Amino acid sequence: MSGDPILRTVSRVAVPLTVWVSIVIFMQGHNMPGGGFVAGVMAGAAGAMYLLAFGTAKAARFRWWKVSVIGLLISVTTGTVPFLMGRPYMQHAIWHFDLPVIGLYELPTATFFDLGVYLIVLGTLMTVFVELAQEGR
Amino acid sequence: MPQLELLLPAIVFVPFGAAALALWIGRLAGQRTGILMVLAAAGSFVGCLQLATAGGAVVFVREWIPGLKVALSFQGDPFGLCFALLISGIGALVGIYSLSYIPALAPARVGRYYAALLAFMGAMLGVALADDLILLFIFWEVTSLTSFLLIGFWYEQEKARKGALTALLVTALGGLTMMIGFLIVGMTTESFSLRALTEQAALRDRLAGSPLFLAALLLVLVGAMTKSAQWPFHFWLPGAMVAPTPVSTYLHAATMVWAGVFLLGRFLPIFGASPVWAGVLVPIGLVTFLLGGVQAFLDTDLKGILAKTTVATLGMVTMLYGLGAAGQDALQMFSHAMYKGALFLVVGIVEHATHTRDIRELGGLRRTMPLTCILCAMAALSLAGVWPSFGFLAKEALYAQLLDGTPLHGWVPSWLVVTLVVLANAFLVAVACRIVFGVFFGSPTTAARHAHEAGPGLWLSPAILAGLAVGLGLFAPVTGELVSHFSSAPRTELHLSLALTYLGPILLSIVSLSLGIGIYVGRAALDRLHEVSRGIPTMQALWDKGLEAVTAAAVGFSVRWQSGSLRWYLAGSLVFTVGLSGLALQRAGISVLQVPISLQEMTWYGLTLCGMLGFTAVMVARSTTRVGAAIALTSNGFLTALLFVVYRSPDILLTQILIETVSTIFLLLVLYYMPIFRPEGLPPMRRFVNLAISAAVGFSMFSFVLLSTSPQFRELKNLGAEYLTRSMAQAGGANAVNVIIVDFRAIDTNGEITVLVLVGLLVYGLLRARRKAA
Repeated sequence: MSGDPILRTVSRVAVPLTVWVSIVIFMQGHNMPGGGFVAGVMAGAAGAMYLLAFGTAKAARFRWWKVSVIGLLISVTTGTVPFLMGRPYMQHAIWHFDLPVIGLYELPTATFFDLGVYLIVLGTLMTVFVELAQEGR
Repeated sequence: MPQLELLLPAIVFVPFGAAALALWIGRLAGQRTGILMVLAAAGSFVGCLQLATAGGAVVFVREWIPGLKVALSFQGDPFGLCFALLISGIGALVGIYSLSYIPALAPARVGRYYAALLAFMGAMLGVALADDLILLFIFWEVTSLTSFLLIGFWYEQEKARKGALTALLVTALGGLTMMIGFLIVGMTTESFSLRALTEQAALRDRLAGSPLFLAALLLVLVGAMTKSAQWPFHFWLPGAMVAPTPVSTYLHAATMVWAGVFLLGRFLPIFGASPVWAGVLVPIGLVTFLLGGVQAFLDTDLKGILAKTTVATLGMVTMLYGLGAAGQDALQMFSHAMYKGALFLVVGIVEHATHTRDIRELGGLRRTMPLTCILCAMAALSLAGVWPSFGFLAKEALYAQLLDGTPLHGWVPSWLVVTLVVLANAFLVAVACRIVFGVFFGSPTTAARHAHEAGPGLWLSPAILAGLAVGLGLFAPVTGELVSHFSSAPRTELHLSLALTYLGPILLSIVSLSLGIGIYVGRAALDRLHEVSRGIPTMQALWDKGLEAVTAAAVGFSVRWQSGSLRWYLAGSLVFTVGLSGLALQRAGISVLQVPISLQEMTWYGLTLCGMLGFTAVMVARSTTRVGAAIALTSNGFLTALLFVVYRSPDILLTQILIETVSTIFLLLVLYYMPIFRPEGLPPMRRFVNLAISAAVGFSMFSFVLLSTSPQFRELKNLGAEYLTRSMAQAGGANAVNVIIVDFRAIDTNGEITVLVLVGLLVYGLLRARRKAA
């Protein structure tokens, strides 16, 4: 299924834009509306738009479930590291960086956990989209 | 001596290591993997000997789970070592025998056979030497599992699979009940150590004072009785005879079936004081003894006969423990292991030569297989308890014990005990006659004519055992010292002698011998009795019926409960949720009626939105097409998002819009494959129930939302404010919603994302597999 020309033209701009917004939403999630889950869903929506415009053939070649498995590994690792250091499982810390241009930057380790959530949501959504769309072929 | 202490775990765990090795080596070495088994068993045997001669009980204690008072502890007391010597010694002989017995199969399968045998040996050694009850239980269950693999070795045969399964179910069931007993013992005394329980009277008193004492006693007894095939759990043992003969010899004559009896020996000092101990064990042991003897005489399969005599002997030892006569347990265990091991291996040779085990098809083998005949006769002498065999000593000791009086008394009068024991022994004598005369004498049958004598690899092991079965009798004084040293009550005096001076037991021996010969001669009459008794349901049949009933109940339940109807599942989950939340509200004494509602706070656009929401919700339910319902549902979702705009909640607004978008795409993808939507004519009752469920869910959700925003509820418990204050301070994030997800409740999220990944993988796997199949 290749969608109509209008959709394809719009998608060329809209898909990267949505992905970009999803990354922004992800990054600001700790302090402003957003976070891994919502950002993951948004990236999934971008993926869905891509599928509608350009068909599933290209996207189906990629094993999307791998993205979710990698996400799970990242999340679990974030929780396991403090455990191995003798603290409770899933205890997070806040890292402070003094970066040259930006200045003082705070990075909670929870962000890595959130990155895992992002990848899992995106991976699972894309797996289901692609597989359901493939059903008709 | 620290080196000696380390021997204990080494004896137990080296066979397990060898088992892992056998799996790997088996592929290369095939049948010769048996050498590994012989080496490992011999190594354990030497280790046990070293411990036995060291003098004084060696113990090995290491911390394992201190919070639960469970320790990795072994003890090398004489009784445990005697069992361990038997296990490793017979293990080595069975290994030698298996080298010639196991045919040339796929190498990996032979490797698996030896791996299971080795793991079994390690587990049995663990049972013998474990001091901690939990450790003992673990090894106990490992023996059940490995014996399942061994009994089912010829898994192509349906009988083998069934026999293995029955054995596993019965013994594992007993093991689990036993574990509950162990837990009661451990929790009331705060000690899982057998040594501590045996030595410290204070612990035993605490146990005896517990209201759960009787339960613990009975549960442990069930464990012992299932493993040792006591009536009414005896039926699994004959069924397990489908195993290869070396396995039957090892598991079902010499070691595993003795584990239950061994456990009784371990627990006699702990539980023996209770009248229930003797009250249960004496009658059960007697019934098993007599029943085993009679059934062994009536059976026609040679291995079945031997299995049933084993059941009988185990019953006899159970009865002895019930009577508190622990002084001769090692004597009975050794004498039985020698002659029964030899007999099983001889049967294996006969089967190898004639390809049958049916005693009716056998006869006259003494000409073609003279050596086997002599070995069988030697072992049978010991089984019948004829002077001067080892079995004679054992039988004399048994009679002497019964005549001299026993430490404990059940409610069975002692004259009855003596009578039944003599009768049961008479049947064993008759069985011994039947095996020797039926197989080796008379005119040769067709099966016997083509028989040939076995090679040394096969007769070596039974020759050693049969030699011991007679030889240990000839050296009565030495044997006597040995077995009383190794018994669980070593201070008991055992006078074993071949001199015929103690008249009472000798008279009883003569009575049972002549009665046995009489039974053998008059067997035609018994056969008729056997015909009559066929109508009585056996325990095996009852067990099978019970299993069928359990399966039928499970299937019936699953078919009704897991009906596959999504509507039924949804209704079930919803009713549960509503019930739970309703209960919570009622417990807390919170009611919606306390919440003041004023519609004036809602602005006109809020009210309009709510009206539209209500309208779309009704449309979802009333729609006659799926697309119509999907559109109504989507509009409902986006209208809800608008509501979040009105009440300024950007975070949830974002989530809501995205979720609505994605689920609409899903709906459209799925709708295409759904069957055509038909309005169903549900019966009015069902419609009413569905309506009631919907109303209950709606009301419950409504009240929860209303309550969570009401001022009173916020005063009562303000989670939101608490999270908001902690969010920045503790997690360095201003967005409390996200901080809750990734930090405060990260473990919950962890579970949720795992489920999400699994769902993705399942969808991928299921849909791909279906497409591939198409």
